Parts: sequence; C-alpha cells; structure tokens
Amino acid sequence: MPASPTATAHAASVSPEVLAAVFSVAAGDEGPALLVAETIGDTPRVTWANEGAVRLFGSAGGDVRGLPVAALVPSLAAGELAVLLRRGRPSRLALPVRTAGGLVDAVVRSTPAPSGTAWTLTVVPGAGAPDRVSRATADAAERRFATLTERSPIPTLLSEQGMRLAHVNDAFCRLAGRPAADLLGTGWTRTVHVDDLGAVVEVVAAALEGEDGEVRARLVRADGTERATVLRFGHVFTPGVGSGFLGTVEDVTERLAFEARLAFQASHDPLTGLPNRTLLDSHLTTRFSAGGRLACLFLDLDDFKVVNDSLGHEAGDELLVEVAGRLRATVRPGDLVTRFGGDEFVVVCEDVDEADAAALAERIVAALAVPVHLAGVRFRPHASVGVTVQAPEHADAADLVRDCDIAMYQAKACGKGRVRVLDRSGRAEARDKLRLVADLRDAIERRAITLHYQPIVSAADGSLEAVEALARWTHPQRGRISPEVFVPLAEESGLIGPLGLLVLDEACRQVVEWDRVLGAAAPPRVNVNVSALQLGGGLRAEVVAALQRHGLAPARLSVEITESALMTDPAAARSVLQELRDLGVAVAIDDFGTGYSSLAYLRHLPVDCLKVDRSFVAELAEGHPQIATAVIALARSLGLSTVAEGVATPALAAALTELGATYLQGFSLAVPMDGAATAAWAGAR
Amino acid sequence: MTALSLGAPPAVDLDRLLAGIDTLAAQRPVAAQVVAVANAEDASARTLAGVLAADVALAGRVMKLANSAYFGMSGRATTLQFAVTVIGFTAVRTMATVALTCLDDESQLPEGFWESTTAVALAASTLAPRFGARSQDALCLGLLAQVGVALLHADDQGGYRELAAAHRPFRTRRAAEVRRYGISALRLSAVALGQWGFPPAMVAPLAAVDDPTSADGALLRVAFEVGARVTDPAHTPEPVARLSRGLLGEEAVAAVVDQVREAADDLRRAVVGD
Repeated sequence: MPASPTATAHAASVSPEVLAAVFSVAAGDEGPALLVAETIGDTPRVTWANEGAVRLFGSAGGDVRGLPVAALVPSLAAGELAVLLRRGRPSRLALPVRTAGGLVDAVVRSTPAPSGTAWTLTVVPGAGAPDRVSRATADAAERRFATLTERSPIPTLLSEQGMRLAHVNDAFCRLAGRPAADLLGTGWTRTVHVDDLGAVVEVVAAALEGEDGEVRARLVRADGTERATVLRFGHVFTPGVGSGFLGTVEDVTERLAFEARLAFQASHDPLTGLPNRTLLDSHLTTRFSAGGRLACLFLDLDDFKVVNDSLGHEAGDELLVEVAGRLRATVRPGDLVTRFGGDEFVVVCEDVDEADAAALAERIVAALAVPVHLAGVRFRPHASVGVTVQAPEHADAADLVRDCDIAMYQAKACGKGRVRVLDRSGRAEARDKLRLVADLRDAIERRAITLHYQPIVSAADGSLEAVEALARWTHPQRGRISPEVFVPLAEESGLIGPLGLLVLDEACRQVVEWDRVLGAAAPPRVNVNVSALQLGGGLRAEVVAALQRHGLAPARLSVEITESALMTDPAAARSVLQELRDLGVAVAIDDFGTGYSSLAYLRHLPVDCLKVDRSFVAELAEGHPQIATAVIALARSLGLSTVAEGVATPALAAALTELGATYLQGFSLAVPMDGAATAAWAGAR
Repeated sequence: MTALSLGAPPAVDLDRLLAGIDTLAAQRPVAAQVVAVANAEDASARTLAGVLAADVALAGRVMKLANSAYFGMSGRATTLQFAVTVIGFTAVRTMATVALTCLDDESQLPEGFWESTTAVALAASTLAPRFGARSQDALCLGLLAQVGVALLHADDQGGYRELAAAHRPFRTRRAAEVRRYGISALRLSAVALGQWGFPPAMVAPLAAVDDPTSADGALLRVAFEVGARVTDPAHTPEPVARLSRGLLGEEAVAAVVDQVREAADDLRRAVVGD
C-alpha cells in the first residue's frame, strides 16, 4: 500500500510490531471501510480492502478486489472519476456508492499516494444530514465545475471571500509553479508582483460588487521567474453565502515578448541596434517642453561614400557598427544615441548647456578618430558634428533637429572632423535662409521670377547672335536678390528643378513673342543656363515639352552648363548633352577655365561653344592675356566657337576680336534687359 | 490533579443555559436580527448592511475584519455593504453571534480565550481544503467553536478556570468537562449554534470532534492542536498523523503553525479589537 512521505517516514520510525498492530486494526471491521485503489492499465481498480469494506461492498474479499473503482461509484460519469481520484491532493465527495445491499449515500474520501497511481479510499455510509439533498446538488455542481476547470488548460481561480481563493486548478498551479496548498486563501496574492497587487485588488473589489473586469499583472513563480498575465474576474453570487469571483488567467508573456520584439524592430536600426528616427521623434516629442534644456548633436561621417565605394558596402556597414559602438561608449548615461539614416547619427542629451554639449561633441569626434581596420585597410573615421541647445526660438522638437542639421552642414563646410555649435546669430541666419527659401518657392509658383536677356553679338560684324536668359528676382520686402544668392539657395533646397523649368519655359515663350513682334530681326537663339542638378534623367523631356508647348524650333535654343557641373559626373553629363544635341539644341560650356576639366575628355563632349570666363577677360584688361588667349586657341583647335563674357569696354572687345573670339557678351555691348527692352534694342539695330 | 476530580461534579443545567442564550439574544437585538437575516436564502449584502448599521460597534468590527490581512483587501473595504460582500454572510453571522454571546467582552472570558480561538479558527481555515471542507466555513466554525467554553465559564467561572488549568490537553479537557458538566464545551457550542439557526453542516463537526471516523472532527482536532502549539508554550504536542487519521504529517502542520502564529493577532484585533 503506497504511503505519503510523511507516513513512510513515520512508519520507518516505529517497530514492525506496531505497524502490524495498526495494519491489523485497519484491516478489521471496527473502523471505517478502507480500500486501496491502483491504476492497472488505464483503469483504477481496487487492490486491497479491509474487512469493513468487504462487508459493505460484497460477500467476499474476492468480490471487491479487482473491481474498477468506477463500478463502486456509479453516479460518477466516466470522465468524472478523476475528480475523486485526484493527483497530489485529497478529495471528499458525498455520493451514492454501490454496496451489496444496493445504492447507499456515503461520503467517500480519497487520499493519493505520492506516486499518483494509488489512492486510499475511506467510505462512510449514511451522509443523511437534513441538508443532504441540497448538499448533493451543490456537490454535483461542484463536481461539474471541478471537472470543467481541472481539465481546462486555462488557469482558473474561484474565490471564497474577498481576495481569498477556495479553489485553483492545476493549470494555475503550473503557471504559478506552486502547489495548490500554497495558493489557496490569500496565498495566491504572494505570487502577484508586489507592484501589481494594488491593481489586482481593485479589480477584485469591483468584481465582488458585481462588475466584471480585467487587469494586467506580473506573476512571480516559485523559481523567481516572472510571467506577464492578464487576469479576468467575473462576479459570482451564492445565495446564503454572498459574493465571490471567478477568475481566469491568461499568460501573455510570449505575446508581449513578441510585441516587444516587433516594437523594437520598428523603432531600431537592424544594423547597429541603435534607436531609429521613429524612436528619436517620439523621444524628443515626449521630452520637449518650453524652457527645457535639451541638446541635439547631429553627426555626419566624413568620407563614408569613399569607404563604401572603395572598400565595399560590407566595410561601410562595419564602419557604421563600429561608430555606433563608440558613440554608445562615449555619451553620458541617459543620453540617447540614434541612427538618423545613412551615415548620420543624432545624440540627444537632457539638462545640459551649450558648453556641456560642445564638450560632448569634441569627445565624440576624438573617440571616432581612433583608427579602425576595414577590409584590411587602416581607416581613421571623422565626423562633422552640428550642436544645438534648446532656445526660446525652438517651437518644437523638429526645430531643434533642423537646427543641428544646419549646424552639421556648417561644420562640414569648415572641413572634416569639425564641431559647429549653432548659436543665436547662426540660428537667425539659418532662419532667415529658411524664410528666403519659402519666399523663393512662392515666387517660382507665382512666376514672380522674371527674365532679363543679355545680347551676344558676333565679334566679326557685331550682328546679334543670341541672348542669354538671366533670372531676376525682386523680393517684395528685400528688393532685388542677386542670382548668386538665390540660384545656390534653389540648388540647396531642391528648387532648382522648378526654377530651371520656369526659365526654360519663359525663354521659349519670349522668343516666340519676339518672332511675332520683330520677325527676322528677332534674336536668333536664346541661351538658357542649366544646373548640374538638372542633369538627371528628365532634362531632355522637359526641353522637348517646352519647345513643343511654344512651337519653337530646337535650333533656336542653346543650353549653357558650367564646367564644374559637367565634371561632377562627366559620363552622365555627356549622355544628357548628347540627347540635347541630337534634338538640335546647341550646347555651351559656361565659365570655362575655372573648373578642372580634363582636356582629353573635353574633346569627346558634345558641345558647340566655350564661354570664356569673365575673370580671364578681366585679366586681359589688366595686361594678362595668357589664359584668354589659350582658351580661345583651344576652342578653335577643337572646332568650337567661343563667347567672351564680361566685355566691359570697346577696347576689350577689340582685343578679344583680335585674339579670335567668335562672339562677345558684356556691358560695353549691351546690358541685360527685359523682354520688351530687348525687343526694342534688337528692333533698333 | 485538583480537587475537581474528587466528589460528584455539578452537572450543568442545560435548560437554564439554553434559556440564557435566548436572554443574550434579547440584549443585542440588532445582532440577533443580523443572524436571522443572514440565515435567509434571499439575503443580500445591502439588506445585511442595512441591519448591521444599527449596531455601530458590530458594524465597526465587520469593517475591521473585512480590511484585515485575512481577506487580503488591503484596506479597500470602505463601505459597510462592501465589507459584508468581502467577508461573506457566514462571517457576518459569525460576528453577530460573537456579539450576541458577549464573546466581544474579554473580561467575561477565560484568560487567553481569543488568542486560542483565533489560532484555532485560522488553523481550521488553512487546513480545510486538505479535509475537503470550505475555508470560510472552517474559519467561522473555529471562531464559534468555543462558544460553549464561554457559556460554561460564565456559568461557573471559578470552577471552569480550575478545570482548564488542570486539564490543558484538548481531549482530556473534553473528558473533564463531560465529567463535571455532563456535556463538553464543544458539544454545548453545537447545541447553541443549532439553536441560532446555523446549518447542520456547520454544526456537525463540533459534535464529531471525538469521532475517529469523521473528517470534520479530524479537521477540528488538528486545528485545536495547532492552536495549542501556537498559544500554549507548555503544550505537549500530539502526533498530527493520529489526530488527522493519517491525512496530515508533521511537516504540513509545521508550515501552518508558522502561518497562524504570523496572522492570528491581526485576526484577533479585527474580531474583538485591541
């Protein structure tokens, strides 16, 4: 007969005589009916019965031994036998048992052995108390509930009163990692994380008063590990007893971990593991408040493109990971390091002044400058760092980031590995520039950018060869803004495309207008300047569209592009210019001699004309004709025409004609004029 | 042995004692009404709280009990109705019975009565599931189990005090009570509770405490043993396995002893105040 460890220990401490005596009493018919049941195969069967049990159930011991337990308790359905024969805990059921004399009400107690496959059953017939019927009904309901909950994989709690539990199922015991005895009463509250217990009590209190509710709480298992759970409580009322609750527990640890992983992936850069721009935005938004002391450091790696292009993207990635690690190691605890994108990083600090932020920036620059080996090559990383400390002018977090981005560009403009703090005057300048950009965008949209035209005449006979279209902007408040200011501004702010289109379209329209007014006296061609940024794929289509829109022949248009723009990406420039040449549009190189073009390359470029830069013409006026002479000679040897710019005096015009310049352009010949004045000028010749 | 064992013991006049019980009920009408209302099947927390409110002292104790560590509500029972909800109707009825029998007047009770009673009640409540009983019923049973002791003591103060001093162990004291009064204190508790309308299922264990076949009796026997171990330094422990008919071992009880020792004082203060 299996015994509990305690009983075993107890038995071990007494003599065999005592054990025999006790066994003899138990086996007799003086005490209650005792049975031992064991699982044989899949069926719990009676394997031992005392005299009392034999007398109660059958006429001979053999009639009882071997009987399935289910046969003794017919009111228990097949699946309900487990309610009586529990593992790990005793049970007590009031139910009819099948005796030799028929069905008899009895109280059956079952005490399991540690093995879980044997039970001691005590059967006490005659549970005939006055409330037997109601107790039987209640017991049946309880059995149904117990069967339901015990089999349920959902951890379930049934209250007794207040926070006290009367019942927990095996699933909850497994979840808590504790035996039922430790969880009943208020024992279960010790498994609730101390910081979450208050919230749980609140919801239980509401459930006791009739409101269903749920609460998220951490459960601390016996081994100290935590499980994240959602506890749901429903109100239960028992007449004559009062209110209670039925609780179920959902273990959401894995789900939360999965959600946390997703959230992490959504807010972190997979390469470096740093928070990404999304997290930076929310971090700044939650911490930004008027009068705060936030600081942003915007870092851009110098020469990252060189690493990527020369050593490969893997080396580039390796560098980014290394930089991320150094940034983490350099910043103060509590500072946020984020990867803004590409080779840009942003560090956010709280409660710092300008000096602190600048000092941190210098520490970062120093930390980054330690050489690293990439693909076997020793490389010393540098970063340009822009620093901004929150000021009253910052309306929101985006202002702060924008300012340190500006500061970074200013730092980059000063050379590699520099730190630039955007101070009040720098910020005002940047703001001013931003406003100007907004005004420029507005002016382009309203076509408030106008064109002036400067004639280009033949050096040989003074005849009108072409006019160069020059954009002019008169700001409503600031007056005339020089193209040297607004053209670079347009290039920086992405407005060069719209500006170029406007100039192209207006120039084409104007030529057609002149043709209508002047006939044969109209300027034969108009030159339009093109920025390097327009040398993308769409220029040919835009030119074709403008020509078609105004019904202008391609030969009436010439495109001017600076030498430095050509050399930014010579191959791309060559294909775009070739397309234009194929259309019949002429191509001129502007500011020739100021860049660093390869003469060998120049030979293969599809161009018609070189424009001699005004600086060389000015040197000629000062008695230094060498470069102007060389450029004109070079053009001639390549079969190209030349336009000398900045011809300020008749003497210069004569000298340039002497040198062989094909065309002349300058104040001594004609100043830039609006469309109507140009028409009058041309008509009068 | 004392002089109590010499000569014929004066049997208690049960009729008089039980009549006294009715007199007690008349002195605390609100408590009596609470017992009556709580027994009703259609009782609600609202009606019970409504009756309770008329007895400020009793209402205060119910509030105190609802906020005790035993119910785990961390002081959130702030209304009488919710306090009734928390502790349940059986406990409300138990508290009313305590008031009814003047058990809340410690000057009229044997020394250490409530220390022993709360320890027994907590032990019974903690052990109940091991015996297939309900904890909340076992707690109330433990709280009221010694009503008979209070009644005998009130009727025969000097005599009972001597009897208790001479017969400390649980079983021998029952036997001494039977010899002296013709009825044991626990059996008297059962009679009194039956008279107040407590359900037979709750009263039965009191009668079965000396029945070796009764699990309810076994639960009470072990609860009294735990109570004695907690409150009586001179107590000689009895083997729990025998008291519990093999259901429990010493290890299981050792843990319960610690729990009871930790919580009993809090429960005592909630039930009868400091």
